[in-house]
Amino acid sequence: MRTFYFLALVLGFILLQSTVLNFIAINGIKPDLVLVLIILNGFLRGTREGAFLGFVGGVMQDLVSGGYFGMYALTNITAGYLGGLGEGRLYRDNRFIAAGLTWFCTWGAQLVFYLLLAVAEVQVPVLTALIGIIIPVSFYNALVVLLFYGLYYRSHRQGLLSDGQY
Amino acid sequence: MSGLSLGKKLVLLGLLIIVMVTGLHYSAGGIERLTPLASSVRDILSPVQRVIMIAGREVSNLVTTPAKLIGLSKRYRQLDEKNSQLESQLLQFKEISEENIRLKKMLDFRTDLAPQLATEAAAVTGRDHGNWFGSITINKGENQGIKSDMTVITPAGLVGRVIRVSGNTAEVLLITDPRSGVGSMVQETRSPGILEGVTGGQGSLKMVHIPADLTPDRGNRVITAGLGSVFPKGIPIGTVREVCKEEAGLFKMAEIEPYVDFNRLEEVLVVTSYKLETP
Repeated sequence: MRTFYFLALVLGFILLQSTVLNFIAINGIKPDLVLVLIILNGFLRGTREGAFLGFVGGVMQDLVSGGYFGMYALTNITAGYLGGLGEGRLYRDNRFIAAGLTWFCTWGAQLVFYLLLAVAEVQVPVLTALIGIIIPVSFYNALVVLLFYGLYYRSHRQGLLSDGQY
Repeated sequence: MSGLSLGKKLVLLGLLIIVMVTGLHYSAGGIERLTPLASSVRDILSPVQRVIMIAGREVSNLVTTPAKLIGLSKRYRQLDEKNSQLESQLLQFKEISEENIRLKKMLDFRTDLAPQLATEAAAVTGRDHGNWFGSITINKGENQGIKSDMTVITPAGLVGRVIRVSGNTAEVLLITDPRSGVGSMVQETRSPGILEGVTGGQGSLKMVHIPADLTPDRGNRVITAGLGSVFPKGIPIGTVREVCKEEAGLFKMAEIEPYVDFNRLEEVLVVTSYKLETP
């Protein structure tokens, strides 16, 4: 059931990202809520589940976007796996640590996305990609985690996303 | 999965990645096809997106209105002063405008494309959910006569072209998308070039392959060229912001400031047919 709620959340965030998040876009850049969710899931659940749910969430994104199939799936596997590397190693009660990890994982995932764009023969200049997208999204995602990590963590411990182990 | 050895897991992961990258490589040339599943997903999500978009816009207006009221009286005084200045300028501009109309008639150059285009109005119901690509979803599709490669505009200028159509929605590739290319030319110097998007989210454009002997100046207008392109000729795109040499050195490239504000698109016009009136 937890997985079902997680995927429903992914779908809800895709809808938000394609609609109202555009109203809070800064210089055309909006936070990537799906990526944040997958990173945090990896952070709290470990590399295996992080990468697996990252893959499933990515396939959903690929389906909705209807573009290059596999681009979001591969990016989100990376994000979930990188997030999972923090599990057991980093202190999970601290929102600043979670925000820092999100910043780092967003970098990794966005770099993978950039490489996949090259595979799909879509040219974006490196500097534009870094300054225009990767760095702003990393900070924006980290800010979202700073604001909402408490809510997500509570849900993970005793809410809809809990597996009853606490 | 837990019963598999590490080696087998790695082989499985490797296979998965190879399959996905291969799929990605081959789907790269076919983004203009929409699978029946993706088409159905879009038709189902479109009304939901529309409702969320309208609600979001209302909330956004509600939140920003008090902030706008601060300093309103100061702004009113400034505007009042500006108004008197503008009234005097208007008289001068009317004279210039009359002259402009006469000159245009002499050149027989049509800038008003409206009579030549048949359009279908559509509302923007969603945008690409990522930051890399620039596309919008509109609430008109195959059932309303929308087809792939139709040009999309606003009264301000060129927006993009339809790339995928489902029953009641269509996806429009914005000209700011890095996958977009538009045959264009500078109106004043008649320099041809290709207009390319840089990143989807930001509204920046670049015009490449401009012949060095026809270098445009800052502020020159860029319009669609119409030659062998899906876009009708003469649709305004933007103005030249900066010109520099291309890396190869043979051509020039220019940064273009688009007329359309791509972050504020609410309604667009899809050009369903057009006829070019040649002088």
